[in-house]
Amino acid sequence: MAVPDPDDPLALAEYAPGGTVALTDAERWPTLDVAGAARLDAVQRHPLAPAWVHRTGDRLTADGVARAQAALPVTGWLAEHLAIARRLPAYRRVADTLGELRTWPTVTRDDLLENVSAFVPLDADLDRMIEGSSSGTTGRALQIPDDIEEVARSFHLLVTLVAEQGIDWRPDPARMALAYLVHQRQAFTYTSSISSFGQSTMARLNLHPSQWPAPGQRTGFLLDQQPQVITGNPTSLAELLHPDLVAGLRPLALFSGAMALSLALRRDLEAAYGCPVIDVYGLHETRPIAASTDGGPFVILDRRVHVEVLDGSGHPVAPGERGEIVVTAGENPLLPLVRYRTGDFGRLVDVAGRPALADLEGREATRFLALDGSLVPCVDLTQQLQAGGARGWAVRQGVDGSVTATVVGGATGQIGTALRRLLAQPVTVTAVPTLLDLGEGKPRRYESEAPGT
Amino acid sequence: MAERPAPFWRRLTNSAGLREPDRGELATNAIPFSPPTARVPRPAADAEPAGATPDAVDSEVLLAVWFAREQDDMLVWRTCLPGASTAEIATRLSLVPASFLADDVAILPLAENILEMEYGAVGSTPPDRRGQEVLRIVDQVRATGSAAARRGAALVLWLWASEDLNGPLSVPLSPVWYGRAMAALSFRLAAVVDPAEWVRTADRRDEAARTFLLWSGHLPAGEDEATARSILAMRDSLQQNAALAQTMAEHEHRLQVTKQLQEARAREAAARYSNE
Repeated sequence: MAVPDPDDPLALAEYAPGGTVALTDAERWPTLDVAGAARLDAVQRHPLAPAWVHRTGDRLTADGVARAQAALPVTGWLAEHLAIARRLPAYRRVADTLGELRTWPTVTRDDLLENVSAFVPLDADLDRMIEGSSSGTTGRALQIPDDIEEVARSFHLLVTLVAEQGIDWRPDPARMALAYLVHQRQAFTYTSSISSFGQSTMARLNLHPSQWPAPGQRTGFLLDQQPQVITGNPTSLAELLHPDLVAGLRPLALFSGAMALSLALRRDLEAAYGCPVIDVYGLHETRPIAASTDGGPFVILDRRVHVEVLDGSGHPVAPGERGEIVVTAGENPLLPLVRYRTGDFGRLVDVAGRPALADLEGREATRFLALDGSLVPCVDLTQQLQAGGARGWAVRQGVDGSVTATVVGGATGQIGTALRRLLAQPVTVTAVPTLLDLGEGKPRRYESEAPGT
Repeated sequence: MAERPAPFWRRLTNSAGLREPDRGELATNAIPFSPPTARVPRPAADAEPAGATPDAVDSEVLLAVWFAREQDDMLVWRTCLPGASTAEIATRLSLVPASFLADDVAILPLAENILEMEYGAVGSTPPDRRGQEVLRIVDQVRATGSAAARRGAALVLWLWASEDLNGPLSVPLSPVWYGRAMAALSFRLAAVVDPAEWVRTADRRDEAARTFLLWSGHLPAGEDEATARSILAMRDSLQQNAALAQTMAEHEHRLQVTKQLQEARAREAAARYSNE
């Protein structure tokens, strides 16, 4: 059983090294050959490697490798998707009323929280199911049934997006294929072999200084691996602007996700590395939806995804008008969603003949100023709020640095203690009974007006 | 029984509105149970006597209560021990006094009295934790307002109480599973077959007896798990009702997905490549 660091009052058991290791390597990488295993081992045991929290693979069989490499066909997918969804338990009582997409009711995150199984097909192959938690910035953690092959296929979406930028990304045994960066107090970290990409290596790395105790360890490891592509969020990608990294890394492309990428950071990254910076918009529930390569509107991806923009009463807004982004998503066979309300807002526009989302709101990359002057990313707060059992929250920091947290559910005492430790200052925690008390739609959950955030 | 009224009836007469039956005043005049040699086709819906099948709304409400308990029947089957025969239970059902199924029976006081007798009989101090659990379930029965659920609960109470009047079963029931059995018959079986049919019709009586044994933690005497499961599956009115079977399938699906998600979480994640 995983035991959290006894010296760290904020340590969570699931992030203890080895805490959730359960499979054998043969189960993690069923096709791994000797050369692939040697590459993986070299990363795993690299003298500058961090203390890996996790050991995990893609679990692809030989047949699975072939399927993961091919994008799902999109011709006629929506009709097929609706036919599958019509048989979901969630729609049993209204199936007769469901025709074209516009006749379907919308689905919310609360619907999935209430009973996610109602959105899983009765004949789904549950043996392919892995569990994904959607925590992010949207409230109580949601357990999502993910499909092994679909998760693996998401890597090849990145390959396609890089190719669309005119860059040939191929396996290079001398380099790590992908580094997935986070920058937070606690995180799952691991290295893996990408079975469907020449058994190249990848790693999920936490750039937080606490994970790299030796001087120069972080830079040394990254430079030694020379990741071909780097993914992350604005908080972790901003770390790449460190001069030592800029001087030594040669990525083919950078991907940002989860939170809004500011134009300033995009420009800095582009200038530092001279490579495309691709901002991907998506939710764990829906998978990737759209991408922006230039800081402009997010072009809807050419995959099994359909986007609408609806007003508050659930009707489509006029073309180009602002409204809530509602997504019909057909990539994950274990969670075929129809008209899922993302809680994000934007406008549907046309970019070179393709639909795109402009003025996207709802992915704030908020940081809080701690009393010692350090900047704390909101994901660190999310972990503690969820550990305390909160179902929703709004945390705000004023210009004077004072912090208030409004929470729904959970142990306010525990949450208050954890936030005080994180930010090294008193935090006023107020409990409210319902999510509606936080504001309509997806509340602006993190907000900081403190200088430098 | 009529010559020497038992305390049993005095208590029930006083508190639960039951009338002490005259000799032979049973809910059915059916002869004691004999197992059917072949499954008798169920009559078409329009040929059912009035009130034989709970209405659809009633059924949905009762099944919702049942499914909310998230009972895993696979697990229950695996832990069953040999018990009394279906014939014994079915015979007890056929002997139920008509007053137990009357509309004016106050089900909660009836349960309190019978549980007091039951737990008193085994020397426990009533009402203990298990007795309280049963009373909570009976109160749920009352709260549904369903006549079918109330009659189902009354029949379960009769099966427990009948030992006082008709002697012990060949294999004693364990009070550990009283609550589970009460819920299964009141919410699951009563949702699809009116309890009056459990008394009147041989097939339904067999179904009720088997259901009672299963959720009481017992295999019918002389049957192994595979045989017992096969026969009950053949009898199971819920599985044979297309619409309600779908509800049940969805419930089982929910259990399965939840279980798989928990297991997947406990095992380990798969590698991911970017923030979502």
